Amino acid sequence: MSGIQLKNVSKQYQQGENQVLALDDISLTVEQGEFIAVIGPSGSGKSTFLAIAGALLHASKGAVILNGKNLSELKPKDLVRLRLEEIGFILQTSNLIPYLNVLEQLLVVKKMAGKLVKEDKEFAKELLQSLGLATKLEKLPEQLSGGERQRTAIARAFINNPSIILADEPTASLDSMRAHEVVQLIAKETKIRNKAAIMVTHDERMLEYCDKVYRMEDGRLKHDDSFSHEKLKTISTKG
Amino acid sequence: MFLAIKELKHGKLRFLMIGVITVLIAWLVFILSGLGNGLSTLSAATFKNMNASYVTFEDDSRSSMSRSLLSESLAKKLENQTNVSAASAMGATMGTVLNHSDSDDKEKIDIAILGISPGSFLEPNVIDGKPLQASKPLEVIANDTLKKKGFKIGDTLKIEGSLEKMEIVGFVKNETYNHLPAIFTTLDKWRSIQFAAPGSDKGIEKPVNAIMLQGENIDSEKLNKLFNHTETVTKSTAVQGMPGYKEENGTIMMMLAFLLAISAFVLGVFFYVITLQKSNQFGILKAFGASNRFLGRAIVSQVFLLSFISIIAGILLTYGTALILPDEMPFSLDLKLVVLYALLLLVISVLSSLVSVRKITKIDPLQAIGRME
Repeated sequence: MSGIQLKNVSKQYQQGENQVLALDDISLTVEQGEFIAVIGPSGSGKSTFLAIAGALLHASKGAVILNGKNLSELKPKDLVRLRLEEIGFILQTSNLIPYLNVLEQLLVVKKMAGKLVKEDKEFAKELLQSLGLATKLEKLPEQLSGGERQRTAIARAFINNPSIILADEPTASLDSMRAHEVVQLIAKETKIRNKAAIMVTHDERMLEYCDKVYRMEDGRLKHDDSFSHEKLKTISTKG
Repeated sequence: MFLAIKELKHGKLRFLMIGVITVLIAWLVFILSGLGNGLSTLSAATFKNMNASYVTFEDDSRSSMSRSLLSESLAKKLENQTNVSAASAMGATMGTVLNHSDSDDKEKIDIAILGISPGSFLEPNVIDGKPLQASKPLEVIANDTLKKKGFKIGDTLKIEGSLEKMEIVGFVKNETYNHLPAIFTTLDKWRSIQFAAPGSDKGIEKPVNAIMLQGENIDSEKLNKLFNHTETVTKSTAVQGMPGYKEENGTIMMMLAFLLAISAFVLGVFFYVITLQKSNQFGILKAFGASNRFLGRAIVSQVFLLSFISIIAGILLTYGTALILPDEMPFSLDLKLVVLYALLLLVISVLSSLVSVRKITKIDPLQAIGRME
């Protein structure tokens, strides 16, 4: 199946003499077209969760299956390739390359995968247009507002047509108006392009755009029923 | 290439600075190579230009004309050996001449007087005038640098220490010996100047300094055994034996080697520092799925481009410099050497960037995305 599946995933760290259990038997399935949120206090294991889902870290136990591929069976080189082709990252800060304009920010990701073709450029423009950046294609990051930069980062996450989108506190550096706008756009693109998306956040105002909310505490992941699916759905369609 | 060019364009000042350093280094490398080439030409052009492949000296003379004394009759015997197609004797001495024709300009000039057999393969082609003739021992051919000193064809020369006046009948090009312009005369005439003092010829009949051999694959060992008190060496060994040649070349080579080493470190450190500065950026790109290859290529192509442009600029500046250098400067650019050093600089700079590439492979994307302590 496509999307991402975590099956009984645990992660242990050696910290000095202590064994730290950062993730404790986590299972989670995110289907295509689904946008879920993971919330929790700092130190709860969100970071580890994100790193494992993002193929940046191996689980100690359990399996991570991304678009039908078991990550623990892949070689480091293939993991790099997989991150490029199957995962779109949106980070706390936009992390744009200072000397590339908006369009090039997307194209460089395409270039990592190989030769650039005309369709890639068209797709990049289409993405940027749908994120409201059509007039900013030639602008450098320093000429953009915080919201515009983060929107560029969203477009970049989608450029390789990945299976999943991982958003790591995407609103951390934005004011609340921009934050709403950005999360709304992530939700919109996820739906239009039928991706599985996971957003790690501590900003509970943003949860209205998500289909499901999970709460992380001491390495354990729980589905949070207080945000009922129906309620979220109605809000998100309104938004 | 994409990232490399974009960044070069964006960070103009930064890259301009390192570019200027590279230009200056390249410029100095080329000037030194020109100077080295000019000096070695001045020192041994006659040897380098002569159409011979081996030289026979007196034993223990350590391949130096000035220390070696042989009999001219040896040339005939050497010519009969296997692989030797021709042999001809040469004598060399240093002297001072006065231009006797021009009374206004009585400047003394140091020259090298080279004795050869007229018509032999040792006689360089004249670019002006006529060649030497055995029947006219008072005629000489001279290097064309003497023209700049006011000498013309038909001028008479007075060699200090000799009463005879000699006439310049022709000019040759690029014939310098022991840093001095060469004047070619017959062996007999040369002997009368060199061995004017009684007994200075050590009793050798028809003495000469060395015998030049033509021919491929001459067995010098065999010749050494066959003829007592002789030593046959290749032309390049003979060139090395020119007074001061090794020392001059060694000094220049040492400076060049240091310069190349310095350029490697300057470029290496510069790119290492900017790679460190960007290590977070590279880490993020790695998290997004950029391979080490992709990022490494970006760095290497950047170094390559920058060095390439700088080296080209250095070459242009060097040729510009050559135009304004005074004629007396022993400076001659050899295109082959220029290309060689340009390639060497390019290779060194690219190699120096590999330190940065290695750094990139060590960057942990997890740390770059700032989510792991």
